[in-house]
Amino acid sequence: MVFIPPFVPETFITMYMPAIYAGLIVGFIATMAIAMKREEIHILILTDLVGLAMIFVVSAVGTDLAEALILPGLVVELAETLAISEILITREMRKIEQDPRANLTKSSSMFPQAFSLDMEIMTTAPNFIALVLIGYGIFLTGFTGGAVAGGGIVLHAISKKARGLPVLLLDGIAGVSGIAWCLWIIGFLLFFVAPQYWVLSLFLAACGLLLKVASKVGLIGLLMREDIDKE
Amino acid sequence: MDFVTLGGNLLGTIPLGDIVLYVNPFNLFLFAVLLGFTALIAVSKPETQVEAAKFNTLDNAQVKVDEKEFRQRRFLSVICGIASAGAMITGDLFNFTLFMALVGILNIGIVSAVKQTSVLNSAFNYGLIAMMCSLPLFGGASIILASTGTLSLAVLSQMHASPMVVFGAILMLIGILGESGVAPFFASKAEMFRTPGSPFIVIIHLSSLFIIVRAVEILLLVLW
Repeated sequence: MVFIPPFVPETFITMYMPAIYAGLIVGFIATMAIAMKREEIHILILTDLVGLAMIFVVSAVGTDLAEALILPGLVVELAETLAISEILITREMRKIEQDPRANLTKSSSMFPQAFSLDMEIMTTAPNFIALVLIGYGIFLTGFTGGAVAGGGIVLHAISKKARGLPVLLLDGIAGVSGIAWCLWIIGFLLFFVAPQYWVLSLFLAACGLLLKVASKVGLIGLLMREDIDKE
Repeated sequence: MDFVTLGGNLLGTIPLGDIVLYVNPFNLFLFAVLLGFTALIAVSKPETQVEAAKFNTLDNAQVKVDEKEFRQRRFLSVICGIASAGAMITGDLFNFTLFMALVGILNIGIVSAVKQTSVLNSAFNYGLIAMMCSLPLFGGASIILASTGTLSLAVLSQMHASPMVVFGAILMLIGILGESGVAPFFASKAEMFRTPGSPFIVIIHLSSLFIIVRAVEILLLVLW
């Protein structure tokens, strides 16, 4: 019943079952890891791993139809990750709203004794490095760019926190991720409505993804800090 | 099993290229009910509701929701209703899984702006379960595709089920259970209802209920 073209090598066809087993085993290991870990941010990252296992199983089919299935699968996975991180952001915002001082207290010092460093470079350099990272991220654009730009945001937040200044980045991150959603969806829609503007829609989607990944990496940094403080 | 045996007389088919939508009284009824409920949601006014007083506390703390949040919630509920209506009428296995995943995302979205941290906590946990269950859901559909070569339900219902198809269908069932948050996974979803806004919150419940009914039909079509 299933039509396999004669020019497909035998090795490719025999690779199907191992690929499915690999996907299921990866999913099983990832769920085991989720059962062991208790920190929320680790669970979120490990859940992404289960999503990757899903891509394994779907792409093992290896036909045109399966290729058409991988893209929606990826998009769904991405959208779910974004929705969950959005939930986390909202929850953190509520927590800060209820107790504004919770964001500022319980900082752990790097040095064993009270120690003051009064140097110009300690206040200016982190901002500069953060700016360079964000700029470089925008230049790269897309997923890696988002990661670099997110690293810049985290550096900025941590350096502000280290100086004892209030960190109120969450509001900004939530706003930016909203814009990113719109850019991404408009870019995606334009692909279907007007395929001749594919360069524009590609750039829209890439910029949206950049902002989105940046905000997600920023969120990971902020939550990591909270987890470290919890210890 | 033939879909005529399951859903009554075939009222007609809508061929859209490779995907053939079939219309029978069973599908049409589910579709119409969901669309009607969605229309009810769309016309309901987002007036401020005061509900969900905290239990087990002496102070009678009431939870208020402002109108802006209600508007957003109504918008997402309408989309959720349309997505689950699409899952009722679709004639394609993979479209069904996609609608299913979309409903899962929208369920999280409806409660995403809620102020209670307990509701957000349970929404987070439900989201994690939904994400993990996308592996069996999409994996099962792709295994069925690999072993039969088609995703059209009209073609699948005529085929004899091989062991691989049965395995794929079982995986899909696990995925559907997790994604709609029923049976073993309801612990995470039940807490999501503890927030004011009756007509909009109910769609979370209703969509998963209807999708389970439709999933039973689809699994029967594939297996017999």
